[in-house]
Amino acid sequence: MIKINNLTKSFNGFKAVNNINLSIKKGEIFGLLGPNGAGKSTLINIISTLIKSNSGTVFLNGIDLNSNPNDCKQIIGVVPQEISLYDNFSAYDNLLFFGKLYKVDSTILKTRINKLLALIGLENRKNDLIKTYSGGMKRRINIAAALLHNPDILLMDEPTVGVDPQSRNQIFGLIETLNKKGLTIVYTTHYMEEVERLCNTIAIMDKGKIITHGNLEELKNQSKTKDLLKLKFNVISNEQINNFKNNFDFEITNTNNELSLFCNIEKNLNAILNYSVKESLIIKNIQQNKTTLETIFLKLTGRKLRD
Amino acid sequence: MIKTIALKDLKLFFLDKKSVIITFILPILLISLFAFAFGGIASSNKSRVIDLLLVDNDNSSESKNLKKALDSIKGIKIITTSIEKANKTVKKGNYVAVLVLKNGFQKAVLNSKPIPLELKYDQSREIEVGMLQAVLMEKLMAKVSKKAISKNIEKFLDAEFANITPNMKNKILKSTSKNNGTNTNNFIDFKMTPILKEAGKKTNFGLIQAVAGTSIMMLLFSIAEIGGGLLDEKESGTLKRLLYSPLKPKEILFGKMSAAVIIAILQLLVMFLFSWLAFGLPIFKNLFSLIILILAVAFAIASFGIFLVSIAKTRKQLSGLSSMVILTMSAIGGSMIPLFAMPPIMQKIAVVSVNYWGIQGFYDIFARNLTLIELLPRIGVLFSIGLIMSFISIKLFKKNLLNLI
Repeated sequence: MIKINNLTKSFNGFKAVNNINLSIKKGEIFGLLGPNGAGKSTLINIISTLIKSNSGTVFLNGIDLNSNPNDCKQIIGVVPQEISLYDNFSAYDNLLFFGKLYKVDSTILKTRINKLLALIGLENRKNDLIKTYSGGMKRRINIAAALLHNPDILLMDEPTVGVDPQSRNQIFGLIETLNKKGLTIVYTTHYMEEVERLCNTIAIMDKGKIITHGNLEELKNQSKTKDLLKLKFNVISNEQINNFKNNFDFEITNTNNELSLFCNIEKNLNAILNYSVKESLIIKNIQQNKTTLETIFLKLTGRKLRD
Repeated sequence: MIKTIALKDLKLFFLDKKSVIITFILPILLISLFAFAFGGIASSNKSRVIDLLLVDNDNSSESKNLKKALDSIKGIKIITTSIEKANKTVKKGNYVAVLVLKNGFQKAVLNSKPIPLELKYDQSREIEVGMLQAVLMEKLMAKVSKKAISKNIEKFLDAEFANITPNMKNKILKSTSKNNGTNTNNFIDFKMTPILKEAGKKTNFGLIQAVAGTSIMMLLFSIAEIGGGLLDEKESGTLKRLLYSPLKPKEILFGKMSAAVIIAILQLLVMFLFSWLAFGLPIFKNLFSLIILILAVAFAIASFGIFLVSIAKTRKQLSGLSSMVILTMSAIGGSMIPLFAMPPIMQKIAVVSVNYWGIQGFYDIFARNLTLIELLPRIGVLFSIGLIMSFISIKLFKKNLLNLI
């Protein structure tokens, strides 16, 4: 669906996108995660034909972006970070205008607008001016405006910035619905929770480069980060500690009757608890620190996502 | 696509009440104000340097003496030329008038006959002509006619008092030449001829100045404001969305420009209709030429406004830039001060201003009564300004495209 080869873009000598290679499959929700200034928006701007790369190629559904930008524009819909709507127009008029830009047949366009308004739950407010909408409602219209020409790929550039949690959940629901209908979604954000919740595949970007990509499990493996399970026992002898270590093949350290187990918690928790019961060990306290994208990013770059 | 963009911009414009008021109501108020103000100027008789063409058909020593005398008058600069050239340049509006010293000038002076003079003038510059006439009649003609009066008295003395001593005769002549009460007008056959076609009903030049000058200045402000919408779109992000679509950047610009031209035409039409209804400006006298000129002015000014927008990067920048450029252009182009009231150097500089071409075009229609064919050069200049500005705007817009993201 999207194939990116050796893509580079520089601004005044600064490489905003540095030799990127990516492959995004049809029907994926592909999360592009990275701190501000990582190059995510530049990459989106290149794919959305807003700017040209210095070198490399991008293919959308097999169409070369460099030689056929207009054909590619019909394949992609873009949800910009800003609410790019006319405040003095109604939601319906905004959608009608943006739909016309793609030369969508008038009757089809009107039907599509009504369907989209129903999908985002704003059909009753369609004739109200955008300036009377709440931030979350504007965000939903902002998404609908990118879908009027029925694109195959939806590029979403931080679409939940400044949105309250309730509206954010509504937007997530909308994204999942659209994805179920077969839409491929490229989702950029610096909120790891959003990527963890929504995306099948994740690429972590930093300083213009993709530093790793895959599903969450693959990223954990690639970064060699493990969940941390801390078990505090009433009493545990050195022998019991050694038995513990011999019984499991992951790293275990101990301090003051407390064991730190570096493992996949979800996979190993039952076995660990059963073993403790079997060894008559009384657990006083359990604490788990699951591996997150934040930890992976920290491990890979030595920096926090929001540094 | 251009139509879609233009219609969107027109809709946005008319939904914005503030913009509509600034575009239509404010200029009407200013036109009314200036119409009254320039009405006052029309009766002014202030002295200033005026270029006066001189055609010497007599080519005599007396006519040469007169030329010398004219040259010595403060406030008048004499330029000798042929009658054909004079007619042409005055008709074009380059000079205010031509003084023709007719055949028999010297004979008339020496024989105490009415002196044959003709002042052919640009009817659209009535105020300047009034000043010129006053200077000529009061200061210069007196000199010429006094000579004729002296000759007349000398003749009379020779005929009736042949025995009078030369000394006495000189005293009498000297005494008569000092007599300021003499009516010199009887000795001058001073013909005033408008060099252009008959205007018919008397034209109010102050009104033309007020309407043309104010309309064009306000139009520039309105268009800069409308064009500024492009920067608003940049700031709000809608421009980005337009660029995501299959639209070409120049289609966005042309769409915006089309909306600006339509609003400019509407604004000018409203201004002229108001001037007709409120002040009786004869807009139906040469309606077709007026419509063509309005189209040319609207195109030139819309392009100029979009050009200003293309060089600005932010709304704030545009605001400062447009105020500075528009006020300067309006000042030098004759929107604020009538061109004739400016020094000659300023009148020459005025041609760099789009206001100048527009205002003079309206003078051509309402005051000089030029036909459409005669108006074509001026209309051509306006369309050329529009084309050049559009071309530069497209280039700048494309160049600045990266900065818009």
